[in-house]
Amino acid sequence: MAEITLLEAVNLALHHEMKRDPNVVVLGEDVGDNGGVFRATVGLKQKFGLKRVIDSPLAEALIGGVSVGMASQGLRPVAEFQFQGFVFPAMEHLICHAARMRNRTRGRLTCPAVFRAPFGGGIHAPEHHSESIEALFAHIPGFRVVIPSSPQRAYGLLLASIRSNDPVMFFEPKRIYRTVKSEVVDNGNALPLDTCFTLRKGRDLTLVTWGACVVESLQAASTLSSQGIEVEVIDLASIKPIDMATILSSLEKTGRLLVVHEASKTCGVGAEILARTAEHAMCLLKAPPKRVTGMDTVMPYYRNEDYFLIEEQDIVLAARELVEGWK
Amino acid sequence: MKSFMLPDLGEGLAESEIVEWHINVGDTVKLDQIVVTVETAKAIVEVPAPYSGKIIRRHGEAGDVINIGAVLLEIEESEPSSEAAPQAAKKEDAATVVGNVSQQSHHVDVDDFWIGGEQNATVENTITAMPSARLLAQRLGVDLASITGSGANGLITDADIYSQCDKQLPGTEVLKGARRTMVNTMAESHLNVANVTITEEALLDNWPEGEDISIRLIQAIIYASKQEPALNAWFDADTMTRCVHTAVNIGIAVDSSHGLYVPVLRHADEYSAKGVREWLDKTIKGIRQRKIGREQLQHATITLTNFGAIAGIYATPVVSPPQVAIVGAGRIIEKVVMKDGQPVAVKAMPLSMTFDHRACTGGEAARFIKALVEDLVRKS
Repeated sequence: MAEITLLEAVNLALHHEMKRDPNVVVLGEDVGDNGGVFRATVGLKQKFGLKRVIDSPLAEALIGGVSVGMASQGLRPVAEFQFQGFVFPAMEHLICHAARMRNRTRGRLTCPAVFRAPFGGGIHAPEHHSESIEALFAHIPGFRVVIPSSPQRAYGLLLASIRSNDPVMFFEPKRIYRTVKSEVVDNGNALPLDTCFTLRKGRDLTLVTWGACVVESLQAASTLSSQGIEVEVIDLASIKPIDMATILSSLEKTGRLLVVHEASKTCGVGAEILARTAEHAMCLLKAPPKRVTGMDTVMPYYRNEDYFLIEEQDIVLAARELVEGWK
Repeated sequence: MKSFMLPDLGEGLAESEIVEWHINVGDTVKLDQIVVTVETAKAIVEVPAPYSGKIIRRHGEAGDVINIGAVLLEIEESEPSSEAAPQAAKKEDAATVVGNVSQQSHHVDVDDFWIGGEQNATVENTITAMPSARLLAQRLGVDLASITGSGANGLITDADIYSQCDKQLPGTEVLKGARRTMVNTMAESHLNVANVTITEEALLDNWPEGEDISIRLIQAIIYASKQEPALNAWFDADTMTRCVHTAVNIGIAVDSSHGLYVPVLRHADEYSAKGVREWLDKTIKGIRQRKIGREQLQHATITLTNFGAIAGIYATPVVSPPQVAIVGAGRIIEKVVMKDGQPVAVKAMPLSMTFDHRACTGGEAARFIKALVEDLVRKS
């Protein structure tokens, strides 16, 4: 079987679910004829027609609002924002309506919409095409926030997100859209939405990460292994809710926590994980937990992008401090 | 030959200004080599060569403003390599409005995963410890694995580290015999007796060479007890009773490796100097051999501790109830005193006497120590 990219896995999941469920519709800027800015929706319009694959005007507020309307009335829209940084005009619809629909109607209506958006830096784009703002959404009650970091998980988690009755913010790490490949079986099997995924087992350190940083984290884990430090790499995947049970049970073994995320440090999701670890597992820790994150700055223009982005060496250094500094 | 037009550099901006050429006509360039820097209204952008080849002609010079779609370069393309062609083709497919999505594959397996964590993972010997306890254990060199925590679910606390630290000291023993007795008598005395120590010194310039210090001290205590009997007494606070003795039974503190012994020279006043020395030698030998009966340790009416035989000038000896006084003799020192207006070097014995102020007055104590000195300064 051929290996496919993360981007192709998103496309595959959309094809599968649109075929399986006639209520699934796709909307967004250039998602139809053009196949999407990154080609995530390529081929859908040809296959499922213009009633189910809708090229929207260049108006994100409209994409958000229409999606809420569709979702509350029985459809399962999968909306695309071209870049995560373009979501702001739609925030009112997302936060005040999508996230609250179930609560506001006392459960009479739900909002089973998926809002897809590529996120993160590393493609040499201007700053508002490169941000990582998953924490903004994780803070809002009512959303699920999901970030896949591999083709298989993109496929399985997108299926699960479309089938979920909660609104899902589905953020795709565009830096690794085409750089990670694996075999994906198009069997329609969804992956669970409420769980982490353990990518590598280790006894010395628990490394929690998500998105494109998974690649550098795995590379760092392999380097560290050759230096005698065995890292357990956990892909958080579900940014909200957070599967603390998996992280805590890993910490029982390792006693050391390192969180790696591209988003800025202050009030990032890493802060939440550290706080919960302090609440529930303070006494398991052999070392103060640590974060390797993006800086507390606006994402720089692309010439300085590499200063902002996390490199394998940053993770290796932090991990060694945690292990060697706290024997 | 191929013409290379200025591409859309994003954001739909129509014009760009040439900032700098990086190649000259006749140069051979490689795919993706930077050929020109242009400035749009938003950014400085470096434009890469779209294919490898030789530069035939450049259009525009630094400072010129050119439009999207205007011819920028004419390149004589070199034979496209077998790899370059599909890559270029793929690149077009990766289209995005801005940026460049890399297609270079990572050599990491991102799709080998377990859902959640380790199934049926049995974590053994998980240590839960307060962070402060971990730090403490590190400082004190205590192994956390050797401790069973006293907190909830075996949580190790600071107190556990301290108690483990005490346990771990090598050679720890349970006290027995004289040492065990000392613990209780000293604690009781410290708790109940109103200990007051008075110090004085006796000048020994009258003493002949080789004087027996122990005998002189015993004799001095006998003398002082006759002069001031209030210190040679027993006192019982519970019954508010005091018994001033006529006989002088001197307890003599003897240090040994087994602990502190205080054998009693009963009716000390009935002994000759020689007899005292014989008694002392015999008793000390008995203590060293741990052959001393309990009866030899009873009924002291006053105690003498000659710590100065080892070292120490003044001290605060502790009274053993029901006795009310203990006399301590320090190491004999040499000192300069004024005598007839002249400085003179003399030998002096420092004396420290502790008395129970509940049973004796300060005046009685002072008179007693005055009598002690009187007797000690005499020629033998």
